[in-house]
Order: sequence, then structure tokens, then C-alpha cells
Amino acid sequence: MMPDINAILKIITRSQIWRSVFRQGYPNTDENRSKTIVNSWFLHIHPVKVRKHTLKVSYTWGMGFITFFLFMVLVVTGIYLMFFYAPSIERAYTDIQALETSITFGMLMRNMHRWAAHLMVISVFLHLCRVFFTGGYKRPREFNWVIGVILWVLTLVLSYTGYLLPWDQLAYWAVTVGTNIAGVTPLIGDQVRLILLGAMEAGPDALVRFYALHIALLPGVMTVLIGIHFWRIRKDGGLSNPDEITEDQTEGAA
Amino acid sequence: MSKDPGELFPKDSKKSYGLMELVKGTSPMVDKGPEDTVTSWPHLLILEVLASLGTMVLLLFMSVAWNAPLREFANPDVTENPSKAAWYFLNLQDLLLHMNPALAGVIIPTIVIVILMAIPYIDRSKADISIWFASQKGKAIATFAAVYTTIWLVALVLFDEYIQVKSFISEPEIIPAWIIPIIVISGLTGLLIMIIRRRWNPTKREMMVGLFSAFVTTYVVLLIVTLFFRGLGLHLVWPWNLPPGALPF
Repeated sequence: MMPDINAILKIITRSQIWRSVFRQGYPNTDENRSKTIVNSWFLHIHPVKVRKHTLKVSYTWGMGFITFFLFMVLVVTGIYLMFFYAPSIERAYTDIQALETSITFGMLMRNMHRWAAHLMVISVFLHLCRVFFTGGYKRPREFNWVIGVILWVLTLVLSYTGYLLPWDQLAYWAVTVGTNIAGVTPLIGDQVRLILLGAMEAGPDALVRFYALHIALLPGVMTVLIGIHFWRIRKDGGLSNPDEITEDQTEGAA
Repeated sequence: MSKDPGELFPKDSKKSYGLMELVKGTSPMVDKGPEDTVTSWPHLLILEVLASLGTMVLLLFMSVAWNAPLREFANPDVTENPSKAAWYFLNLQDLLLHMNPALAGVIIPTIVIVILMAIPYIDRSKADISIWFASQKGKAIATFAAVYTTIWLVALVLFDEYIQVKSFISEPEIIPAWIIPIIVISGLTGLLIMIIRRRWNPTKREMMVGLFSAFVTTYVVLLIVTLFFRGLGLHLVWPWNLPPGALPF
């Protein structure tokens, strides 16, 4: 006799273990749909309801979400790469070669890390353009725009600090050019350059510094700022939408 | 963001009854007017899943098709030629060719970032929130600013390659390195503002749409010029004549 699948499912989903993990039934009623969102640690950043307007792909391009998704891909692939990489002149280059030739999924993970970083640089800029051209920065979202600009710059800096790590010609000269530019900063140029490189020229100290920046400091700062960025979206009533249009009282022609 | 129910359904003091109606819905609505919302599950989450899958598929295809670059072991004695920064900094690298490095590499980027952050505190009108390019006029202004900026940038890049400011005046250094670039940048920006103001009589927001469009155009055009049109010694070449290894990825 065939076992009754529905009966088995019922036993599972009504068991105390299941219900201790998922506290609501299948989300096919409004009540359960709300609970699905608020009861889940992963989903609770979402509001229970969203405006139809903000779901239009032609309005948001989904660029903010795609940028965040790429960031998560970068964290995962980045952690994988960390297992096989040491930031020293003796090892860095050969570690990358080993990743490409002898480590399981090494080549794939490195490629994904590289191309996801490039895609993120593009998507974060498109997101910035979208928010500007739809006026998404207006009150009460002024400061979230400021955080967004910082996140854009951080994305570039993160990408740049990762550039040095393979310790090949491309990396070395890009970093030499970059830190030389930082070195001509008026008044504090030499100090900035010295802090970045840890020496007068790009060498072992620079590699360690860029590594620490790339895997710890900058991703940490970025994670906190992303958290604030998302939290403020909720606090500001979701994404900008036509209901917020108000006639000007004070503004005249420019 | 919910509106005051008293405002939506004004009470008439002469009447002892209120207006109500049976409408289709999936949950009770008490003291709420009609609203334009849907539940996040499944409407928002399905879009997030689709965006994730789409991005992942694209990323996997790219990662299978192209390998991340790995050149020779770093060698301080052998300079790469052309020596290019990461592609997303090539617009800055192009600026370096035309002016003092402190101006191109530090001062201009800092000013741009500060101005970007200041945008919401300058344009405070909420009359056109959520409308792409603010208005039809804004769209025309953005298009004009993009074309205007592209033409000037290409002209300036060609001028500095084949004629060069320094062939007219090279001494003292401060004139070609600082004074002329600052005059050109502020002059062309001022001219753009003047043309937009004369031709469209824009609101503050529409003017900013024009200026932002000019910024994005500058960012992209200079990036493309250095990425695809600069070969040995960072001199201009056609993309099909680029020396091997000129693309930094």
C-alpha cells in the first residue's frame, strides 16, 4: 500500500520539533504571510506589506538588492579563498597558482570572486544613478543617500585592496600607481602613502596591510553600513513612491 | 505613512451613521482607507529569488567563460606598458594625464564625493519624488547635458593628445597643471548651467538632473577612453590596435 504523503506531512508539520522552528503554518493566508516575515530572522528586515509601485522592475531595476546579493557572494567566495591564501610575498603568487591548478573549485571560486567584484562595482553605480534620477534621496531619506555614497566609495576601495593580493605585475603596478596618487595629497600625502604601504615602496608590509583592510576592516565597516542602510529604508517608510509627492511651499525656480 | 482615518472618512456631525462598503479583500481593514500594498510574501520575495538566480546564472557563465587574470610575478624593475589601474579607476587615471596629480587624483574626486553627499540638502523639493528625471523637461535636459559633455570630453582628449596645452604655455608649471584645467572645468560647467537655464528655465531639481547627467557622462566616457583607446605610453590608439595585455582584466 502506498503511504499517504499528506498524512505524513501532517504528522511532520504538526510535530513539536517542526513547530518550534516554524511558528506559523504555510503562508497562504494574510496572517501566516505576516508571521512568515516577522518570525524569521532572515526575512524580518522586510516589511510585512510593500507598495506595488516599489515592486516595479522599471522603477528600481532591482539594483540595490542585486548589489547586496553580490556582496554576499563575495563574502562566501572570499572566505573560501582565505583557506588557501597567505599574504606573504613568498606565498601569495604561488597560492593563487595552486588555487587555479590543484585546489577543488579553486579556479571557479577565484573567477566568481573577481567577476562578482566587477559586477558589484557596476551595480552599485547603477543603483546610485537610479536613486538620483528618481529623486529617492529626498526627505526623509537624505542621510541614507549619504550612507549610500559612502557605500559606493567603500565598494571601490574594497575592490582596489583586493587587487594587490595576487602579487602579480597587474597588482603591483596598479597599487604603485594608486598609492603614488594618494602620496600627492596636499599636506598629508607622504604620511597617507606611508600608512597604506607600511614602507617607502610596495612590498611585504603593503601586502599584509591591504589584506587586513580587504578581509577584515573594510568588510566589517561595510556590513555595519549596509545594516544601517536597510534599517533606515524601513524607518523611512520603504522606497520612495508617488504618494510622497507634495507641492512646494518654499522652493522657486533655480 | 498611514493617513489619519478622520481625514480619509470625514465625520458629518449631523449624521448618526457612517459610510461603509463591502469590498473584496484578504484581511479585515479597520480605520484604513484603500491602499496600494501587497504582502511581501510572496510578491517581494519572489522578485528577490528571481534576481538572485539571474545574477548567479550570469556570474557562473562569466566564471566558466573567462578566467581571472594572473600576470607574471610582481617585479619592481619591469614597468608594465601601458600601466593601467583597475578599470573602475581609469577615468581618474585619464584626468592624471591632463593636470597636476594632486588635482586629478585627490582634490577633484574629494569635491565630487562631497557634492554628491550634499545633493539632498541642496534639492529639498518633494514635488517630483519618484518621477524619472523629474519631468519631460528634465529628460530633455539630461539628454542635452550628456551630449554636450561627451562632445567636449572627446574634443579635450583629442586636443591634449595632438596639440597639448603645453605647446602654448609650459612655464610656469602652475599654468598648464592647475590654472588652465580649473578654468576649463569650471568654465564648461558654468556654460552648461547657463545654456540649461536660458533654454529650459528649470527648477532646481531639473538643473541638478542636468549636472548629475554630466557627471555620469564624464565618469563613463573617460573610463571608456582610457580602457579601450589608450595603448603604449597611454597614447591614443584604436581598440583593435591595443598592445597585448593593455586591458587590465
